[in-house]
Amino acid sequence: MAMLADVKKRTVRINGCVASAQAAKYADVDVIAAYPIRPYTATMMALAQMVANGELDAEYIVADSEHSQLSIAHGAASSGARVFTGSSGVGVQFAYELYSPISGSRMPVQMMIADRTLDPPGDFGSEHTDALSTRDMGWIMGWSCDAQEAFDNHLIAYRIGEDPRVLLPQMVCQDGFFVSHITGDVELPDTGQVKEFLPPYKHPYPLDPRHPVSHGPQIMPEQGPPLQLERARAMEESMAVIEQAHEEFAKIFGRRYDAWIDEFMTDDAEVVFFLQGAHAVTARFAIQHMRERGLKVGMVRLRTIRPYPTERVREVLSKFKVVGVIETNMGLGGVSSGGVLYAEAVAALYESQKRPLVLSFMAGMGGEAIVLKEFYWMAEKMLDAQRRGKIEKRTHWVGFED
Amino acid sequence: MATIEVERQLLPILDSPNQGARFYNPELPTSEPFVPGHRTCAGCGPSIQYRMTSKAAGDNTILVGPTGCMYVANSSYLCTPYNVPWAHTQIGSAGSFTAGVAAAYEAMIRKGKWKGKFPNIICEAGDGSASDIGLASISGALYRNHDCLIICYDNEQYANTGIQASSRTPYGGMTTFSPPGPEVPEGKKLYPKDLARMMAAGHPHCYVATASVGYPIDLMNKVRKGLNHKGAAYLMIYTPCQKGFVYETPRSIDLGRLVVECGLYPMWEWNPEKRAFNYSFRPASMRPVSEYLKLQGRFGHLHAEHIANLQKFANEQWRMMGVELPEALIQASDAKNLTNMAAAAEAEAVAQTL
Repeated sequence: MAMLADVKKRTVRINGCVASAQAAKYADVDVIAAYPIRPYTATMMALAQMVANGELDAEYIVADSEHSQLSIAHGAASSGARVFTGSSGVGVQFAYELYSPISGSRMPVQMMIADRTLDPPGDFGSEHTDALSTRDMGWIMGWSCDAQEAFDNHLIAYRIGEDPRVLLPQMVCQDGFFVSHITGDVELPDTGQVKEFLPPYKHPYPLDPRHPVSHGPQIMPEQGPPLQLERARAMEESMAVIEQAHEEFAKIFGRRYDAWIDEFMTDDAEVVFFLQGAHAVTARFAIQHMRERGLKVGMVRLRTIRPYPTERVREVLSKFKVVGVIETNMGLGGVSSGGVLYAEAVAALYESQKRPLVLSFMAGMGGEAIVLKEFYWMAEKMLDAQRRGKIEKRTHWVGFED
Repeated sequence: MATIEVERQLLPILDSPNQGARFYNPELPTSEPFVPGHRTCAGCGPSIQYRMTSKAAGDNTILVGPTGCMYVANSSYLCTPYNVPWAHTQIGSAGSFTAGVAAAYEAMIRKGKWKGKFPNIICEAGDGSASDIGLASISGALYRNHDCLIICYDNEQYANTGIQASSRTPYGGMTTFSPPGPEVPEGKKLYPKDLARMMAAGHPHCYVATASVGYPIDLMNKVRKGLNHKGAAYLMIYTPCQKGFVYETPRSIDLGRLVVECGLYPMWEWNPEKRAFNYSFRPASMRPVSEYLKLQGRFGHLHAEHIANLQKFANEQWRMMGVELPEALIQASDAKNLTNMAAAAEAEAVAQTL
C-alpha cells in the first residue's frame, strides 16, 4: 500500500492553511477536490505541490465550481475513498445544495473552511457566517484558534466522522487570515502516531461492483422521518465518540483539548466573553490586562458547535453573572438582531436555575481585528450590566457606539 | 512511491448491420444490470436505453443517476432496478459526482485499497441535467478526462417534473413551459442546443457520439466504444417520452428511427484519435419531418410555416452530414407545399407505413 514515508516528529513554522494541507497529507487522503477562492486557496496550493513532489499519492482534481467540489467529494467518498475539500465565503454557499445530501448519505467527507465574509461587496476578511449558515445540515463542525489546533482538528475530525457509529461529514473551520495566514509553530507528528490514531477509511456500503448497493433512492413521505431521525441520532451519538477521540488524541500526541469548550481565567470570573475562533487569542491578552486592574473577566471558547454541547454550555455559563457573546457572524433580523451564537447560548441557558445576563456583541465584522480596547469596551458593558443587575441594550455593534 | 498499475476492461464490439432495429444478435450478453419492475411509463425511451446501455456495459459497472426520470421513476425506497452499484446525485452534479467515483477508483486501485479491473463508470443524465443545470459539471469531467462515460438520455424536456422545456426541446415542441397560444402559435420558439457537438468541439480528446433507441446494436456498440476509450466519453441518445411527446406507446422504437430518417437527429461519431467527425451513418430511408411530427401530440398545434421551419432545420443537418438533398425535401421546406397539423387520421396513415 502506497503510504507516507515514515517521518519523525518535528516542529515547523507554518500558517493555518499549510497546517490544514499537512493534516490532509498525514491523513493520506485519496481524492482532493480544489477550487480557488481566498483565503482557503493556500491549502490547496500546498496540497498541489505535495502531489507534484510525490509526497502524497492522491487524485488532485481542479473542479469547475464549489458545487462540483462537493459533488466530487461526495462521489469519491461514496466509492470508499478518503476525501478532502475546502472553501471560503461565498464558495461555501455556492456548494450549499450538497451539504444535506452528503450528511444524509452518511459520507464522512471532510471540508476545510477558512472563513470569509459573504458578499456584498467582496470583503476578504473573516466572518463566520459562511460556515455557520450551513450549521444545521448534519455536519460535525468546530473552530480552531491557531495553526496547531487547525492541524490537530483535521485528524480528530476524520477519526470522528469515519467512525462507523458516526459516519458524518465534518467542517473543520479556521478564521480566514487570523489563522489561515498567520504563521505559528506546528508540531508535525510521527507518521506512526497518525497510523495509530486514524485507522484506514472503510465505509460499510461503498459503491463496489462486487457488492452492489443503491445509494439515495427516492422515498415516500412516510419513509423520510425515520431517515431524518437516524441522522439526528448519529449527530447526538457522535458526542461520546467526539470525547473519546479527543482523549485518544491526547494520549497519542500529547496535546489535550477539551472537545467542546476552552475556558480561560474563569475560576473566579464574574463576566465572560463567549466566542469561537481566532479572536480568543486577543481576548486572552485583554483578559490578562484587565485582571491586572482587578476586573474578574474570563473567556469561554466554543471548540465544537455541531453537535452543540448544550448541557456543557449551560453548566459552564451558569457560573457567571454576565455573558458577552462575541458573534463575528450575521443573523439579520434574528432573535437578537445581531448574530446567531446568542440565540443558541440563551437557548442552552433557558433550563438553568441560575441564568446569567447575556449580551450580544457584533465585533470583528468584515474581518476587522477585535483590538484590545474593544475587548475593554465590551467588558465595561458587561460589568455595567452586572452592576445594574439588568441589560439596558441587548445587542451592541462594537465601534458604532460610545 | 510504489504504485499499482490500473488495469482497464476491454469490451468486444458487436457485429451489426447498422439498421438493427429488429435485429437479433446472439452475441448480446444475457446479464441484465437493469432489471424490470420499476415504475417508468410503458414504452419509456430512457428506460429502454438504460437497459441497452447497462447490458452493453456488463456487471463490473457503477451507475450514477442525477435527478431526473431515471432516478425518480426507477428507484423507490428499498426497491431499485439496478443490479450494479448505483448512486443518486443532485441534478447539477452529473459530471462532478461521476468524476469523484472515477478519481476514487484510480486512487484506490493505485494505492492497493481496491483490487480488480477498473469498473465501467457511467453517468445517466437527462437532457435537463446534461444541457442546462449540470452542463458545467459534465464539461469539467470531460475536460479533466476521467475514465468514465457520460450519457445524456435525451427526451428533449424535463419530463419527470411534468414536461417542461429544456435546452434540448425542439422548435415547435409543446411543453408546459412552452405552450402554444394566439401570441405564440408555435409553442417553443427556440431551436435546441447542439449539445453533443458542443461536447465534441470543446473536449476533442473525448469519444463523443449520438445514438438512438431506434438502433439498439449501434447504441450498444457506441456505449462499448465509449467505455473502451481510456478517458472520458460522451453519448447523447434519443429516447422518446410517451408522456411528453404524446404518442401511441408501442411507437417508441419507431420514433427512434423516424427522427433519424427525417434528419432531426443526425447520427455521428467524433473520433478523438483522428480529431474528426464520422458522418457515415445512413438510415434506410429519408423522410420529410412532417411524418415524424404527425405521430406526436406535442407538435399537433403547428402551422405549415412552423413545419417548414423544422424541415429547413432538418435540411441543414443533412447538408452538414454531406447528404445530397432529394427534391422532395427541398419542396417540403416551403410552407406553400404544407398544411397545418390537424388530423389524427394523418398520424394513423403514417403509422401504417412503419
